[in-house]
Amino acid sequence: MKRVLILTVLLISTSLFAQVQFEAKVSKNTLGLNEKVRIEFSMNADGDNFIPPNFEASGFRVVAGPSQSVSQSWINGRSTFNKAYSYVLMPSQKGALTIRQASIEINGQIYKTSPIKMNVTNAVEIPKDPNEAPAISADDNIYLVADVSKANPYVNEPITVVYKIYFSYNIGITNWRELSKPKYNDFWSQNIDIKQLVAEEGMFKGERYRYVVLRKTVLYPQKSGKLEIEPLSLDIDVQVPTNRRNIWGQALMTQDSKRVSAGSKVINVKGLPESGKPEDFSGAVGRFDFTVSPSKTMLKNGESLDLNVSVSGTGNLKLFNLPKPVVPSALEMYDPIHTENVTTPLSGMNGKIADKYTIIPQFKGNYQIKPLRFTYFDLATGRYKTITSKEILINVLDGPSIASSGKSNPNEVTKASIEAIKTFAYNKQKTMLSPITKDDFLGSNLFYTLMTLPFLAIPFFMIAKKRKEAIDGDVVGNKIKLSNKLAKKYLSEAKQHLGNKEPFYIALEKAMHNFLKAKLNIETSEMSKEKITEILLSRKADSESVTNFIALTENCEFARYAPASETAIQQDYDKAVVIISSLEKQLS
Amino acid sequence: MKNILYLFLFIFQISIAQTAFEKGNAFYQKEKYQEAITSYESILKSGKQSSDLYFNLGNCYYKLHQVAPAIYNYEKALLINPNDKDLKTNLGFAQKMAIDDIKVIPKVGFHKIIKDFTSSFHYDTWAWIAVSFAFLFLLFFIGYYFSQTTLLKRIFFLGMFILLLAISVSVSSGIYEKMQYENEKPAIVFSEIVSVKSEPKNSSPDAFVLHEGTKVYILESIANWKKIELTDETTGWIETSAIKELK
Repeated sequence: MKRVLILTVLLISTSLFAQVQFEAKVSKNTLGLNEKVRIEFSMNADGDNFIPPNFEASGFRVVAGPSQSVSQSWINGRSTFNKAYSYVLMPSQKGALTIRQASIEINGQIYKTSPIKMNVTNAVEIPKDPNEAPAISADDNIYLVADVSKANPYVNEPITVVYKIYFSYNIGITNWRELSKPKYNDFWSQNIDIKQLVAEEGMFKGERYRYVVLRKTVLYPQKSGKLEIEPLSLDIDVQVPTNRRNIWGQALMTQDSKRVSAGSKVINVKGLPESGKPEDFSGAVGRFDFTVSPSKTMLKNGESLDLNVSVSGTGNLKLFNLPKPVVPSALEMYDPIHTENVTTPLSGMNGKIADKYTIIPQFKGNYQIKPLRFTYFDLATGRYKTITSKEILINVLDGPSIASSGKSNPNEVTKASIEAIKTFAYNKQKTMLSPITKDDFLGSNLFYTLMTLPFLAIPFFMIAKKRKEAIDGDVVGNKIKLSNKLAKKYLSEAKQHLGNKEPFYIALEKAMHNFLKAKLNIETSEMSKEKITEILLSRKADSESVTNFIALTENCEFARYAPASETAIQQDYDKAVVIISSLEKQLS
Repeated sequence: MKNILYLFLFIFQISIAQTAFEKGNAFYQKEKYQEAITSYESILKSGKQSSDLYFNLGNCYYKLHQVAPAIYNYEKALLINPNDKDLKTNLGFAQKMAIDDIKVIPKVGFHKIIKDFTSSFHYDTWAWIAVSFAFLFLLFFIGYYFSQTTLLKRIFFLGMFILLLAISVSVSSGIYEKMQYENEKPAIVFSEIVSVKSEPKNSSPDAFVLHEGTKVYILESIANWKKIELTDETTGWIETSAIKELK
C-alpha cells in the first residue's frame, strides 16, 4: 500500500515537473584544430539507453569520455535532478562540422538533442599554463653527438664513429626511437653491439653531463676524397621538470618529446701514396705478418700436401685477397679453403685469415714453389712494406709410372717387370765444338758446284767415249797416226835438222839404224846391205820396201857430201817416214 | 811458318775450349752449378757451340731451379741435334717445372708426315746427302755407259733413276727444312710473369698471362712488341724484353 503511495507521489511529481529537458551543450562553438571541446548531454530526468551521436562521422575524435554525472539537490524543498554524459572531443578536420543528435529514453519516451554546429579553424596557439610549462627547455639539455676518431684517414684505415647522447642531470630519458639509421656509403662498416646502455658522466660544453653511448661503428673508407656520413636521427621522449612542485617540494615532471640528429659528418679520406706503391699491392692496410708453410716437402706419389698461406695482424683483413701461389705444372693445385678468424673491436679488425691449398704432385722430381710476396701499407710508418716468403722445394720421390701397374689377370704370375723410368740424364762428357757463326752449306756456291759437277761430268765422259770409238774406227787416220808416231820416235832428231843438210842426213841414217836395231835386234856392226835385205826379206817384208830402205840408206851417205836442196831434204824425210811405217807394219 | 803458328793457335784455342768444357763437367760433378755455368758460357763467348754444351748448361740451370734458361738451353741443343733422347727427357723434366702447362695441338695428316720426314736431318745434312747422291749418280752413269752386258746396263740405268729421285727428294727436303727453320722463330719467356696483350700497347686488355719457361713462336713484330703464338694456337702481343729468341 505504502509502495503504491510512493509511486503515485512520484508519478504526481513527475507529472508536476513534466517539462523534461534533454540537451547538448558544447564548451565552445569555434575552436582551433589543436583545441579540445567539451560536450555535455544533460537531462533533468533519469533516462536509459543513451545513444551518443556518431562523433567520428561528424569529424571529431573522442579524447576523453563518456563520463557520467548525476546530481540531485533539494533546495527549499524543491528537488532538482540532473544527469549528464560528457565527452572531450578533438576535431580531426577543419571546417564547419555538425555534431549530430544524441538520444535517450526517458519514461518510455525517446528524446533527442538538436544538432550543434561547430566551426573548426586552423590550429591556434594554446596559451600555456605558466605553472605547467617546463622550467627548462629540452633543447638545451639533450644533445646527440657523433664522435669520429679521425677526420682524415687513409683509404682502408679504420676509423670509429661513436654516437653518444649527452643529457643534463635534470632531465630524464624514458624512451628513444631511431628515425633514420646512419648510412655509410663508400665505407665498409661494422657495428659493435652494445648489450646494455650505461649512463656515464662526462664533460660537454664545459658542463657536467650524463651520456649514453648508443652505437659504435668501425668504418673502413673504401675510396679517397670527401665522404659523408649520413646523420643518425632519434626521437627521444624526455621528462622535463616543471615549475610546479609537489608537497614535498620536488619539481613535477612533464613529458616532452624531442627530435635530435647528430648532423652529417664529412670525412676527408686520403688516398694511399702512389710513390713506392708496389705492383702487387692488393689493398692491405695495417700491420701484418705473412707466412707460407707446406704441411710436408717430401712426398710419395699419390700423397697430397697442404700449403697454408696466412696473414695475421691488425688491419682490413676482410677487405683484401691473399696472394695466390704459383706452382709448376707438374703439381696440381686445387682451389683454396678460405678461413677467417677475425674479431672487430673498436680499434679495427684483427686476427688471421688463411687460404689452404691442396696440392697433389703428378710427376716425380724436384719442384720449386716460387716465393710469395705480400705487400701492405703500414699505417705507423706511412710506407709500403713487402714480406717475401721463403721458396719451398718439394721433392716428389716416385713418379706416376709405378702406380699404373694394373694387373689384368689375378692368376698371372707377377713378373718383375723392369720399367724404364725416365730419369734425369746426366751431363754429356764429350763434345765436338763447332763455331757458332757457321755459313749454311745448303745454297752456298760450294753446294751448287758439287751438285752440278757430276752432271757436267757426264758429257765429258760421253765425248771421251765417242772419240775413242771414232779413233778406233778410222783406218787411214790410224795409219797416219802410227807413222807419225814412228816418225816421232825415230825421226825426231832428223826433223830438228830439216833445214840443215849435213846433220840431217847423219841423224836420218842414225834413225834408220836405230829402227833396224829396235825391230830386228841386230847390232850396227852387222849392218851390211846384204844382211839387212836378207833379214828383212826373211821377216816377210815387202821387197819394194826393202829396196826403198836400202836406197834411202845409200842416199843418206851420198847426200851428205852432195849438194842437196831443201825440198830434197823434205822429200827424203817424207820417204823415210813412209818406209819406216810400211816396214813397221810388215814386220809386226 | 806463319801457317804453322796459326794452326798452333787454332789447336790451342780448341784445347782451351775443351778444357773449359771438362772444367764445367767437374764443377757439375761437385754440384757447383753456378761455377759450371760460368765455365760453359766462357766457351760460348769464345764463339764455339755444340748441342752437348747447351745440354750441360741446361742441366746446370735445371739444378738451380731456373726454369727459363734451362728450357732455353735444351731447346737450343735440340736445334743442333734434334734426335737426342737424353735431351728430350731432360727438356720434359724442365717443362714439368714450368708453371704454364700449354697443350700442344698435334699437327696431323700429310703435312705432319712431310715434316716428320724432313726434320730427321738438319738442312745442311740434307745438302750433303744430296751431293753424295749426285756423285753416286755419276758413278752409276759411268757404270751404265761403259758396262758391256745388258743386265749390268739395265741395273745401272734403273739405279740412275732411283738416284735422281733421291737427289730431288733430299734437295727439296733440305729447302723445305731451311724454309721451316727460317719461318719458325721460337722464343722462350724469361720474365717470371708477363701479361700477353690483345693489342701491341700497354693500355690494351690482358689476353692471358704467361710464366717463365714457356715456348712461344714469334709471328711478327712492331716496335718493341712481338706477336706470338703458343703451341695451342692462341696468339697475343708480348713485350720483346720478356722473351729471348732461340735463333
